[in-house]
Amino acid sequence: MAYLDINNVVKRYEGHTALNGVSMQVEQGTIYGLLGPNGAGKSTLIRIINRILAADEGTVTLNGKKMTDDDIAHIGYLPEERGLYKKMKVGDHIVYLGRLKGMTKADAVASMHWWLDRFDLKEWENKKVENLSKGMQQKVQFIGTVIHRPPLLIFDEPFSGFDPVNAEQLKVEILALRDQGSTILFSTHNMASVEEVCQQITLLNHAQVVLTGSVDEVKQQHKKNIIAVQTPDKIEANDALFTILPPDPIKKNDKLIKLAAGVNVRDAISWLNEHYLLTGFTEVLPSMNEIFIETVKSKNAENNE
Amino acid sequence: MNKLGLIIAREYMSIVGRKSFIFVTLGMPLLFILIMAVPIGLAYLNDKGSDVQQIAVIDETGRYAAALHSDDMYHFVAIKGDTVTNAREFYDKANGSLDAIVIIPHDVDSTGAVNIYSEGTITPAMVMNIRNALTDTIESAHLAEMGIPNIQQMVEKAHVNVDVRSIKWSESGEQESSTDVAMGLGFMLSLITYMFVLMYGAMIMNSVIEEKTNRIVEVVVSSCRPFQLMLGKIIGVGLVGLTQMAIWIVLLAIVGTVAGSVFGISNMSSPDAIVAGTNAGAAVEAATDAGVMDSFMREVLSINYVPIILNFLLYFIGGYLLYSSLFAGLGSAVDQPSDSSQFVTPVIMIMLIAFYAGMVCMENPTGPTAVWCSIIPFTSPVVMMVRLPFGVPTWQLILSLALLFGTALAITWLAARIYRRGILHYGQKASLKDLFKWMK
Repeated sequence: MAYLDINNVVKRYEGHTALNGVSMQVEQGTIYGLLGPNGAGKSTLIRIINRILAADEGTVTLNGKKMTDDDIAHIGYLPEERGLYKKMKVGDHIVYLGRLKGMTKADAVASMHWWLDRFDLKEWENKKVENLSKGMQQKVQFIGTVIHRPPLLIFDEPFSGFDPVNAEQLKVEILALRDQGSTILFSTHNMASVEEVCQQITLLNHAQVVLTGSVDEVKQQHKKNIIAVQTPDKIEANDALFTILPPDPIKKNDKLIKLAAGVNVRDAISWLNEHYLLTGFTEVLPSMNEIFIETVKSKNAENNE
Repeated sequence: MNKLGLIIAREYMSIVGRKSFIFVTLGMPLLFILIMAVPIGLAYLNDKGSDVQQIAVIDETGRYAAALHSDDMYHFVAIKGDTVTNAREFYDKANGSLDAIVIIPHDVDSTGAVNIYSEGTITPAMVMNIRNALTDTIESAHLAEMGIPNIQQMVEKAHVNVDVRSIKWSESGEQESSTDVAMGLGFMLSLITYMFVLMYGAMIMNSVIEEKTNRIVEVVVSSCRPFQLMLGKIIGVGLVGLTQMAIWIVLLAIVGTVAGSVFGISNMSSPDAIVAGTNAGAAVEAATDAGVMDSFMREVLSINYVPIILNFLLYFIGGYLLYSSLFAGLGSAVDQPSDSSQFVTPVIMIMLIAFYAGMVCMENPTGPTAVWCSIIPFTSPVVMMVRLPFGVPTWQLILSLALLFGTALAITWLAARIYRRGILHYGQKASLKDLFKWMK
């Protein structure tokens, strides 16, 4: 049984349905990407998991048990729209968030010191939040999310607002948390980061799951049978086997061929090998970005019909 | 500490720990003193700064000019009536050294009218000064003319100020009660409730809006129930208000004790006595004031304070809960303080109506307006304060309190439902219709 099991969740608002029978299973110790265009229902789903909102139908189970209010102590949540009390001192603020999650004062203080040290923010402990740069505030926010070492972490657009250096540090921390056994649910538009860190994804569109699976599976499902061929020769099309595609503007030296229907890679490559000097070839898999755009567009087109 | 306690503590510290809190707490009494002292000071400077006015008194009767005594502000010069035929010429001839001419006509005894002439401004203070002086003198002269011996003393003896004492029959027998003191006390209590509810209600609303604009609220409600956050705020801010009141009471006590020992006057609370005491030659006045003070103190002591204070606290808590949860709910529906006015204005209107109803009730605390407004929950916290010192039938108190607390809890519940939805609602401004939808 999955660590976090969302089963057929429905959430209706006046006039529209935000989630229409959404299910997904998040395995323990993995990073799970929750994707989808704006308004697809990601934030609603995350708020239901956090028990900020209640589902109209369906169940959410955590570690095999139906979630209750007490379970929010096991969750660390970094919302997309996030902020801090500007007038509070950094240390007090982190301790406050930790204690709200049920930590004792001593535990929260110790954990706060450990994390401030790790992020090189030690000398800011007694400064007010408003005196920190935006990047530092984001770090404090992150510490506030993980201070109680929750087994389930939910990050909504964690990298927005971070510069590349800090984003990299954040990524390292997130991967470290996963390696320590935390389960991470990750909601984002940033497809590059999805490919880098996520094992599994679910794509929501118009309140429904339109795509789900491991990143590798999804890529295999969406491959277009395109092969990048490296050869100094000029390749002519062979209509029985493949057509020639215009080259990728970034990798101009690779020649792109698209296999004809029913042709397997081995036949095409052996034919090419006979006729040209072949120095290498790779199968081109679509990026998550392409899959995202393609899936959302085709689903929207279906809905419009 | 549980979550509610944590939230209360944070809310409390976030306000009390601010420099502005100390500033406001100490500044408010100063502001009140300034509001009272500035007009007096300005009037003093106004009088002190103006030159002595030269006023010629042309007394055609030859008897009353002496009644006008010169002082720091007016210098009266008596001129025999028959020496001046044309007042205008006389004024012009003085070439600006005269500010005004008073003519007391020979028939003043029958008409009771005198004229003041001037090219400049004739101030109300000048008119009043002359009127008072001449009225007394001419009145005495009239009495004397009647030729009855000792008439002056007889008139003074006949003069009386009727002291109407109200005595209330209660189970414990007769009890002297005071309408003046009761009115003053009622006004004070209703003003405190009104100010407190408005001031701290606004504080709660700002705190709610601040959390929303800060975007901290979603982080917090992922750790606690929105209701806990709202209730924590209401209680935290309420405690701030109580702290502030406690500080003011302590300040008042200190100022009172210091002032009492400086002036060395037992009847501290009578400003008249202090003023009279500093005036040499006002011993008689002070003595009569002491008599007035006695009856005042008797009235003050005649009021049974225990039930008043208990009821005050109950109404205060009920009213605060009612209005502060309203403010919290409304605050959650807007993104910026400037957007809140559309929701806040009606609430302030209700408070104002309550306040005015309270004023009306002071005159007639048992009239229908008074009774109804002291039972309707939205006005009762203010209006009942006015009625309390006069005594309120028990059934009305129970009904009013039951309604107040019932409504306060219902409003808190509804506000919590609005709050739960409102704090996560950004962008498009919520309408009243939205609020009703959220309550469902």
